[in-house]
Amino acid sequence: MASSYLPPFEGTGEVKEGFLCPLCLKDLQSFYQLQDHYEEEHSGDDRHVRGQLKSLVQKAKKAKDKLLKRDGDDRPDTGSYESFYYGGVDPYMWEPQELGVTRSHLDLFKKHRAARIDHYVIEVNKLIIRLEKLTSFDRANSDAAKIRAIEKSVVSWVNDSDVPFCPDCGNKFNMRNRRHHCRLCGSIMCRKCMEFVPLPLAQKLIAGTREALCVPGSPSQSQSPPAGGGSSGMSSRRGSISSLSSVTSMLEEKDDEKIRCCHHCMDTLLKRQQKLEEKDHVPDIVKLYERLRMCMEKVDEKAPEYIRMAESLNAGETTYNLDTAGGLRLEVQKYYELIDALSKKILTLGVKDDPQPHPKVLQLQKMIRYTATLFVQEKLLGLMSLPTKDKYEELKEKRKQEQEKRLQQERLAAQEALKRRQERQERNRPPVNANGELPQAPREPRITKAGGWLPSADSVHTRGELEDPLLQQIENIQSFLRQAREAQRTDEVAMLEENLRQLQDEYDQQQTSIALALSEKLAQEESLQQGELHRLKTWEREEKEQWSSAVSSSEPSYKWERSLDITPTGGHQGEEDIPAEELTPKAERSPPSFRAFPALTSQEESPPRLRSLGGHVTPPGSEGQNNTSLNPFEEDDSTPTEDDPSNPFFEDIKKDHKEVTNGKKEYNPFDEDEDAEEDKPAETVSRNPFEDDDTDEGNPFLAASGNSPEVSTNPFDGDDKDEVLPDVDMIEEELLLQQIDNIRAYIFDAKLSGRLDEVDLLTQNLKELQKTLQEQKNKNKKH
Amino acid sequence: MNVTLAVKQYISKMIEISGPGMKVLLMDKETTSIVSVVYTQSEILQKEVYLFERIDSQNRDNMKHLKAICFLRPTKENVEHLIQELRRPKYSVYFIYFSNVISKSEIKALAEADEQEVVAEVQEFYGDFIAVNPHLFSLNLQGVTRGRSWEPSMLARCTQGLTSVLLALKKCPMIRYQLSSDMSKRLAESVKQIITKEYELFDFRKTEVPPLLLILDRSDDAITPLLNQWTYQAMVHELLGLNNNRIDLSRVPGISKDLREVVLSAENDEFYANNLYLNFGEIGTNIKNLMEDFQKKKPKGQQKLESISDMKAFVDNYPQFKKMSGTVSKHVTVVGELSRLVSERQLMEVSEVEQELACQNDHSSAQQNVRRLLQNPRVSELDAVRLVMLYALRYERHSSSILSSLMDELSRRGVSERHRRMVQAVVEYGGKRIRGSDLITPTDAVSITKQFFKGLKGVENVYTQHQPLLHDTLDQMIKGRLKDSQFPYLGASSLRDRPQDILVFMIGGATYEEALTVYNLNRSTPGVRIVLGGSNIHNTKSFLEEVMSATGHSSSSSSSSRAHGGGFHSSRR
Repeated sequence: MASSYLPPFEGTGEVKEGFLCPLCLKDLQSFYQLQDHYEEEHSGDDRHVRGQLKSLVQKAKKAKDKLLKRDGDDRPDTGSYESFYYGGVDPYMWEPQELGVTRSHLDLFKKHRAARIDHYVIEVNKLIIRLEKLTSFDRANSDAAKIRAIEKSVVSWVNDSDVPFCPDCGNKFNMRNRRHHCRLCGSIMCRKCMEFVPLPLAQKLIAGTREALCVPGSPSQSQSPPAGGGSSGMSSRRGSISSLSSVTSMLEEKDDEKIRCCHHCMDTLLKRQQKLEEKDHVPDIVKLYERLRMCMEKVDEKAPEYIRMAESLNAGETTYNLDTAGGLRLEVQKYYELIDALSKKILTLGVKDDPQPHPKVLQLQKMIRYTATLFVQEKLLGLMSLPTKDKYEELKEKRKQEQEKRLQQERLAAQEALKRRQERQERNRPPVNANGELPQAPREPRITKAGGWLPSADSVHTRGELEDPLLQQIENIQSFLRQAREAQRTDEVAMLEENLRQLQDEYDQQQTSIALALSEKLAQEESLQQGELHRLKTWEREEKEQWSSAVSSSEPSYKWERSLDITPTGGHQGEEDIPAEELTPKAERSPPSFRAFPALTSQEESPPRLRSLGGHVTPPGSEGQNNTSLNPFEEDDSTPTEDDPSNPFFEDIKKDHKEVTNGKKEYNPFDEDEDAEEDKPAETVSRNPFEDDDTDEGNPFLAASGNSPEVSTNPFDGDDKDEVLPDVDMIEEELLLQQIDNIRAYIFDAKLSGRLDEVDLLTQNLKELQKTLQEQKNKNKKH
Repeated sequence: MNVTLAVKQYISKMIEISGPGMKVLLMDKETTSIVSVVYTQSEILQKEVYLFERIDSQNRDNMKHLKAICFLRPTKENVEHLIQELRRPKYSVYFIYFSNVISKSEIKALAEADEQEVVAEVQEFYGDFIAVNPHLFSLNLQGVTRGRSWEPSMLARCTQGLTSVLLALKKCPMIRYQLSSDMSKRLAESVKQIITKEYELFDFRKTEVPPLLLILDRSDDAITPLLNQWTYQAMVHELLGLNNNRIDLSRVPGISKDLREVVLSAENDEFYANNLYLNFGEIGTNIKNLMEDFQKKKPKGQQKLESISDMKAFVDNYPQFKKMSGTVSKHVTVVGELSRLVSERQLMEVSEVEQELACQNDHSSAQQNVRRLLQNPRVSELDAVRLVMLYALRYERHSSSILSSLMDELSRRGVSERHRRMVQAVVEYGGKRIRGSDLITPTDAVSITKQFFKGLKGVENVYTQHQPLLHDTLDQMIKGRLKDSQFPYLGASSLRDRPQDILVFMIGGATYEEALTVYNLNRSTPGVRIVLGGSNIHNTKSFLEEVMSATGHSSSSSSSSRAHGGGFHSSRR
């Protein structure tokens, strides 16, 4: 919308960009700020204004349409999206909305239910208590009259004469259709409507209710009723509850083993029994299902992590470890297998039982299985494969090169900017000179001074670094990192790496500022000296003043570039070192950051750490490497060439010449470590550097000349080919296996959805893959 | 203001409340439709809902390891079923949601049935409508009218539906209705009554400009539902019949088994979402592109996968390919069937004449064309009848009307008695006597100029000239020019500002052409959001049944509401 309020070629002539408020043209930093601002400032008037403006726009458009006779059929649907121009919104993109109105009746419901439940519970408990009374004596050994008397004492029986018809079925009572009393409520029914509570059921109900009533209470109490209830086969009772129906069907007059009751009481008791049973019973399907869900949750948790890793690895980044990712992939795949197995088990639950489960049960099982397959399909298909180790190395290399290229470009740009700035400064200089300074005279002493000053300052520097708390912290974190990586805690690794990076940045900054302060101090001293010199050589200046201004514009600039590369100190720089610092952050910052690494090695001579720093996967490390690998190279090129021959002998270098160690650390310390340790698991990785070592030793000149990464990597590849071939095979095998897995999953999926043509195609592929795999294996054996 | 989202949110909230574990969704016939329109089976399966049951179904087993989510309309029958269910619970816990206001006494009855204490939740979630598109809802009611007044049960249902939409969207509107229709007024009053009664529910934060509810009557525009359609969604409904976003393709010759019934839901089908408002020609192009895309991805049977990279490419592409193949086969089938019908029934020719009848004002050319098409044996009976209907509506009072001779023509063609009676019925339903607005002859100067320009330059697309009356009405309304004399406010207050949120309800059913109009208005007018609803979404067939039942010509079969079976469908699209 903003464009319609901002006629670009009118008014101030200034074209504003960014998050401008359409009404007051205030520039807000972000969308949200703009929104807030808009709501605060213009909520009142905006609609009006907007409406006016819009109607204006519409009128204009209408006029245009009329002029162009486009009026008739302006259905905006015909392919054009011009309607968006006005800012109208597709209903699909309407803003998020909150949940609609809801109203709960739960309180009311509970109130009514509570009243009802109390009544119901009392009813049930009454029945249970009576039942207990009825079963608490030894029925088998008591005579019928005595039983009857006890039964009558429990509940008062309804008078026979009051009930001429069976209240349930309505049949008339007579000699043949006799009255029966419910022992639990005393009511009367006919024989047909009569039911029996078998003793085992009664016992169970009583025991269950007692348990429920005094749950943690006294176990002795809950044990007592069976004890008092007669010792006639306690064990059999527990098991024979399910035979209830057979017992009731047995219509026998003698009530030894059962208690006569009416339909209603029976109903209540059965409900109660069912509830008791369900309380502890967990069906198989639930157990399996819970495990299934657990696996799914695990996958939901791990898969995104893996995908993140795989993406990063496939991009050649070194944030994650290839092995960790591989392990995670295996883990996730294991979960998929589990899900598959569990859901299959759920699908076939009870299928072989004789009375087939209810169709709905089967449907449920089918649905769970279907959901599991959908889940596997969706997530598994999103699992990208990892690069093979070789490929990964390649990717890493490629990325490194890209980064270097970028870095170089940046450096170039920085240099260019620097040059430009310098030129500008040079142009500004004449007035300074005119101030009365002699550019040439101080030059000679300055150079010597710089040569004398810098190394000492530098050495002080490095010594200071060892005690630097930041450095110690970095070290600590690095060791944590190593431990975490060993423990395969990827999230921690990521966090630590982040920390490390921050620390290193911080450290770099600190170093720069120290260097800055130092050079400032230098500059001050220098200027003091210069002042003296100045006084001493006034006569000289007077003589040479005339030509100095002419020369200074060209000569100093030449000197500047050189002095930057080698030693950033000097009289002139002292005066302007602050802009210079800003301009050459790379050149200034990287040497200190570098020094951190050799410092480490010297402090604690642990090769594995070095490897983890130099050769492994830490992104800050690698970035550091890139920084380091660049600058020292240049130094190597420009500065003493006599270092080069000594390159292969690292120990010497380490002790002798820190700068060079830095340069070599890129490749060589790494190699050396491998050399020393001969790690077996890292064979594939170590092979390359190893070989490089060989070539290095064979013709040291190649290494010396090939210090730049472009040259050094290529020989690796070229030479590796014969040697690493078995490795490639091995990895291809791995990949093949992966593919076979994938294709199997697809086949399964295709079968499930009944796409036979796909199944055929896939099986064919599978076969081919397997054949290839076999061939590979054979080849390997030959090797 | 997104009705689809509103229902979806309600349902996902229900499921969320019930917590983890296996679940069954207990619904009635109508709520099954409501849920199945917004969710696919696979979507809802992912929320651990594995079974979908009807509350009135007898074939349900005890499954105490399942939680039951009951989403029911608060009807007497449902409450009774639920009481029976609670007396003998089949599932472990019950979460009960009614789609509308339920009485206190019914709550009591339910509470007293819950002796086993299985009910964990009783709430009202106002998803009592079928959300067809984000801006379109339906109540799936057929035959809401008797003569010129409400079928009593239908008035109640429409009121419930409308109030539930208002509650789901949290809008407490001002109400305008169409003065010429008594039914509009009745419904408006009925809705107002509920708002007053349930004032606690309608107590929303006041917005600057109150939302507006506009109640219209289908009889004001009987032409729109009689026209053949050319945009994807509307066309599918007209020619194949969309029922809760599903098409029955079983009559299509040579259809494969898994395409007998397909789901067209913009929620899950990207191609459909992008194309549902595009016209037939554009869809043809897009389908072609889709096919070509698909062909590229399709792994070829003979293609040897020789290298690892071939293999890898295949495996990487397979999921996409699979996903795509469902979409492709579905849309290719549907569009193929549409184009078969178009050529078989010569719909291009028919539609051209229909549009001429609806939009132009040239009697002699119109009558010639209608006559010509009536003599064409390939024009179907329905199309022939609808041409005559359009003619009858359009030139009802024309001095030289040839309606009677056209009717003779129809009977000569052997058009059934029932269909011929429909012509009369349509005029009775939506003729000039009934209409409150100027459906056909524009009177104001602007419209006349419009007509004039139209005549001058001709039209770009002869098949889509027609704009439904609703477009004008809404356009006027947005501009604040809708006459109070034709569309009065219910109550004293009236809206002074430009309306922002508009809810339109069409008694007697809306159409997909009108849905398209509303969609375009939404897209072209900033700050205005319009939702269209109807007692049904009509195509010509269902509209004619509505007309027959309204005018009392109907046989008993059409008076009962159409069966809107629910049932979920697999997610394959």
